[in-house]
Amino acid sequence: MADDKTPAGDNPYTQIHVVQSGDTLSKIAQKYYGDASLYPKIFQANRDVLSDPNKISPGQKLRIP
Amino acid sequence: MKKSSFWVLATLAAVFIIGCQNQRAPAEQAVAAAESALTNIRDAATRYAPDQLQAVDAQLNGVKDSLAKGDYKGVMAAMPALNTAISNLKDTATAKQQEAQAASEKAKDAWGPLSSDVPKMVDAISSRVDILSKSHHLPKGVTKDTLAAAKSGLDSMKSAWSDASNAATSGDYTTAVSKGQAVKDQASQIMQSLGMKS
Repeated sequence: MADDKTPAGDNPYTQIHVVQSGDTLSKIAQKYYGDASLYPKIFQANRDVLSDPNKISPGQKLRIP
Repeated sequence: MKKSSFWVLATLAAVFIIGCQNQRAPAEQAVAAAESALTNIRDAATRYAPDQLQAVDAQLNGVKDSLAKGDYKGVMAAMPALNTAISNLKDTATAKQQEAQAASEKAKDAWGPLSSDVPKMVDAISSRVDILSKSHHLPKGVTKDTLAAAKSGLDSMKSAWSDASNAATSGDYTTAVSKGQAVKDQASQIMQSLGMKS
């Protein structure tokens, strides 16, 4: 699910994904990039809120660069 | 009889010449004043009312021709219309100058948010295009043609944005906003095509 709200100070035109139950970074990468292997791009863009690419929580807002 | 006629004619000629001389100075002064008034507004008129200025110039040249031919009566007769035309020209140029200044102020206000938004949009698109270029497949709704169009669109947007920024730097905010808004519209369209908008 995409969301227009952005974390404060961010580029307001960077797309935001609100994590849903069952989401993984790979699934999110597949959705936005068509390629699950590009999940590190999302991980790198969200290092301030993610410490482990395998640990994301429903409701988290992730930048999709 | 002949002698008296001579003196009558001579007297009339003298009166005529003196009369002309009496009209010459006011005519010259009136033309000089009109030229001066026109000089004072020429820059603004050239920019904001060029057609009207051309008509007034033609009118002034006609009066100057009359002056050169010694038709001082004609000059004085033409002066009210010329002065009115100069006054109208001044009013038109002033009004259009004020309109242009108001439009420029409005454009300057619009440039602020535009100059903040567009580079961020371009950055976001650039980032997405870079990533999609590395993707083995493209996401649903995005084709190779879409991606290629986005890439070429990025180049044209960067060029157009540079033009807009240069216009703003030189103080031409009307042009800056016009070009900048076009870039923003294009960026918005590309974002839509890449699925970057929900």
